[in-house]
Amino acid sequence: MNIAISVAEYIQEIQNGTIHVEEFIAKTLERINKVEPNLNALITKNEKALREAKEIDKKLRLKEKVGSCYGMPISIKDNICTKGMKTTCASKILENFVSPYDATVVSRLKSEDAIIIGKANLDEFAMGSTTEFSYFGPTRNPWNTDYVPGGSSGGSGVSVSAHECITSLGSDTGGSVRSPASFCSVVGLKPTYGLVSRYGLVSYANSIEQIGPLAKKVEDVAFILNIIAGQDPNDNTTLGDNTSDYAKDIDKGIAGKKIGIISEMVGEGADKEVIAATNRAISKLQGLGAECIPIHLESIKYSIAAYYTIASAEASSNLARYDNIRYGFDFSSEGYEFKAYISKVRGNFGPEVTRRMLLGAFVLSAGYYGKYYLKAQKVRALIKSQLDEAFKKVDLLVAPTMPILPFKIGEKIDDPLTLYLLDINTIVANLSGIPAISVPFEIANGLPVGIQFMANSMQEKLLLQAAYALQNTTNLPVVPL
Amino acid sequence: MTKIGLEIHCQLTKLESKLFCSCKANYRIYEPNSIICPVCVGLPGSLPRLNKKAVEKAVMISIALGCKIPPKIGFFRKNYFYPDLPKNFQITQYNAHGPISIGYDGKIQIEDREIRIRRIQLEEDPGRLVYEGISEKTQVTLVDYNRAGTPLVEIVTEPDFTNPKQVRLFLNILSDLVENLDVSEPDLEGAIRVDGNVSIEKGNRIEIKNVGSFRDIEKALQFEIIRQQSLADRNIPIPAETRHWDEARKITVSARSKEEEQDYRYLPEADIPVVVIEKTTLDKLKKEMPESIISKKDRYVKKYGIPLQVAEVLSSDKFYSDLFEKAHNEKNAKEIANLITTDLKGFADTREQRKQLKITAKHLSDLADAIMNNEITRNSAKTALQEMANTGKSLPEIISSLDLGHVDDDIMLSKIIDEVFIEEQKAVSEAKTNPETINYIVGKIMRKTQGKANPSHTLDIIKKKLDLQ
Amino acid sequence: MVTRKDIERLGDLIKIELGDPEKYIKQVEQILNYFGSLDKVETSSDNILTNEVLLDKLREDKSAAMLYDGKMLLDYLKRDPKQFIRAPKMS
Repeated sequence: MNIAISVAEYIQEIQNGTIHVEEFIAKTLERINKVEPNLNALITKNEKALREAKEIDKKLRLKEKVGSCYGMPISIKDNICTKGMKTTCASKILENFVSPYDATVVSRLKSEDAIIIGKANLDEFAMGSTTEFSYFGPTRNPWNTDYVPGGSSGGSGVSVSAHECITSLGSDTGGSVRSPASFCSVVGLKPTYGLVSRYGLVSYANSIEQIGPLAKKVEDVAFILNIIAGQDPNDNTTLGDNTSDYAKDIDKGIAGKKIGIISEMVGEGADKEVIAATNRAISKLQGLGAECIPIHLESIKYSIAAYYTIASAEASSNLARYDNIRYGFDFSSEGYEFKAYISKVRGNFGPEVTRRMLLGAFVLSAGYYGKYYLKAQKVRALIKSQLDEAFKKVDLLVAPTMPILPFKIGEKIDDPLTLYLLDINTIVANLSGIPAISVPFEIANGLPVGIQFMANSMQEKLLLQAAYALQNTTNLPVVPL
Repeated sequence: MTKIGLEIHCQLTKLESKLFCSCKANYRIYEPNSIICPVCVGLPGSLPRLNKKAVEKAVMISIALGCKIPPKIGFFRKNYFYPDLPKNFQITQYNAHGPISIGYDGKIQIEDREIRIRRIQLEEDPGRLVYEGISEKTQVTLVDYNRAGTPLVEIVTEPDFTNPKQVRLFLNILSDLVENLDVSEPDLEGAIRVDGNVSIEKGNRIEIKNVGSFRDIEKALQFEIIRQQSLADRNIPIPAETRHWDEARKITVSARSKEEEQDYRYLPEADIPVVVIEKTTLDKLKKEMPESIISKKDRYVKKYGIPLQVAEVLSSDKFYSDLFEKAHNEKNAKEIANLITTDLKGFADTREQRKQLKITAKHLSDLADAIMNNEITRNSAKTALQEMANTGKSLPEIISSLDLGHVDDDIMLSKIIDEVFIEEQKAVSEAKTNPETINYIVGKIMRKTQGKANPSHTLDIIKKKLDLQ
Repeated sequence: MVTRKDIERLGDLIKIELGDPEKYIKQVEQILNYFGSLDKVETSSDNILTNEVLLDKLREDKSAAMLYDGKMLLDYLKRDPKQFIRAPKMS
């Protein structure tokens, strides 16, 4: 049985009866056991997966109603709450935390009979771009295990890419779904801010982050988006009911569409392989009938400073609740005074989380609010207005997802600012709230290159059509089983 | 000149649910940590959901206090660490920058003074701490999060008070006001908490926290003014600081570092969108607001001819004015108002007593009508009222069971009068010339009939008998 | 110039015991300088991106009691036998 299949193929085979859920899940678990020692993509495995599979097979046998996922295995980034399985955020501080409730996206998937196969590894509290900042060790790129898989949703990217599951849910704050998608050669979408509920997503930068799906195919991502998108009364920032059927007309094509090439993202600072791949992608798009023109986004060069100012500030507040008093890890408060205890507890945050919280405390401290945080918010608004201007001229924007190819584990870990600068292509979508998707395009020197599309707010359908069109011009290998 | 300002926290106890989640708002009757949810206990991934009615009630309070309402309001986070604060930040409102709080620039009249309201904001209450263990070694802090997330309205005044008595008066007026608006029950423990700040001429501002009752805030302020004055008299500088009211020793003491220079690192609460208050919504809320105390008072005086004193007492008491509204009609309004303020309030004034009252609007209107129709004397009415309050029996039942009917039977009354005439011969002869003495005789008759005689009727008969028509 | 004292003060603000404050000094300074590049940006308006919601669309004031897989929420937390949550003593 081939487990390296797409959502559509899986559902087809289950509906035909050519395969059963239980055997597929069993094969998947076998695969996980085989590759995990090398990849470390999953923090927790679902002990009940086989049992859940049997339940679904039973429903199928009895011709009872079965949800649209038909028992498909899916991994969930470990900063998204799941009942019955730990949600650690890859941190010592939540080592033992089991959430009493499911995130909204998880309940929606469960009610469609998806099987959560495991919790995916991440940079601690989603702060990082390489998944090297996990308390449970780095995740490795299946294309070359000496290399980083991208981050912070590295576990999601790898588990999909290495066939440990068919799709995954990650979270994207500064590129954290698109970066592993690009580095692992899978599709990753960051939806419009407010399209997908954040209830159950452990907050890091709550005015910016979104949960997004990863899968091997664009149409698979659309399938998952259909399930998880939509207003949620539990999340006041979800937008009014505006959801379309994202899978419908996905093959419409892009003939006649205007696509803007973001000049700032294909110039200095980008690897030559990446630029070459991008140029080839642009030719393909033109071949499909799209008109590609250069677009300048002046304010992009300030986007990283603006992002990290805001994100750090929000992180310093969002993570304040972790004091091990109500939940957390094993460490008794016997004999300690309050401030001393919680400071000792919080000394267990990793260096990147600590760094960002220090920065966040600084930019919000008395007297600095106007210079840093407020200024950054104004720059953010400026970026959005420049994008709005751009979208008057073009329908979509295109650029490489990452300015460079995947690099070796440990290579950039000692220089935080260098790592921050790698987000230059992805961050603009986060700051402005617009949707963006990464599509695998090439394998260069054995390492994946992804191409990114961006569209204006709530234009996911258009985005997915463009991504689908480009996907169909490629014939990329998958990670060997 | 002495300047006093107040910071009042008023719980919106009349709401069903908490400010940011659907847990029950009335935490007082529940076991510890039994009305909590992921949101109010700050679990990872939880998000606040703003309570519409809380905002509406806060708007009403702002309107009642003469405040301006901004077209858009926003929420902020106040960051600090404390065990009663589940997220280690409080969601509140802020007026330094960005979208402001629910009300500002208001004023309220107390006697001859106008007290300006600087701002009103909506925020969440933290949980409750219980300390256990006496010695340093065994001390443990126990936390109950039931209260966490309860909606609070914070009202900040300008330092317009010049003495503690005004403060007490203001607080009573405010209490009546919020109760009248049906947003809070000031009698509930902890429903209204007051911090005061006071400075004397050329002195620094001292903040006083942790004061339990309105009476105590008055005492604390009095103490503090004297304390500051005595320092000033001896030319000792008064440091700006926070002090606590020591209930036991009845003095203020310097507080330790918790309230010191705290950097709260305010930032906007991005999980709650900016709330737009459209003019149509505002107008609708204004219409829905319960009638104000002042308006009720004016109406009682003008429409029903109720004496001002009585109207004041009745209008500022929500429980009884509600009862009045249900019981009265054009004719018996004045009588009912009288019954309530003179008699009923007298024996049912505390929360507990009112809760146990079995009297209904019908009881009152029946009783008022009976008095006005001379079916029962006012004295007997008082007895009847108490009986109704205790037993809930109907008026006719009570009149017969306690034998409260009028002695209206002329023959019966005449007989009794004759008896008294014999007993009080001196008074009778005096009565022909001195009207005071007639009243004395009427009094005797009332006593003889246990108040059941109709006084004016009795007077008529006496006058007839004495040929004094 | 970010000093050791600055780092220690920040660590105290966010209640994190920094084993070695020294190691953060250079990085924090470098990154703060980088943040400072925003000074150069001309932001003429005071416009900030915000979400808005009408007062009428907010949550209705209704209460709901919840169980979590049949258990009370407190059962998932670090509870005390008397149904409280224990916190360390206050100084």
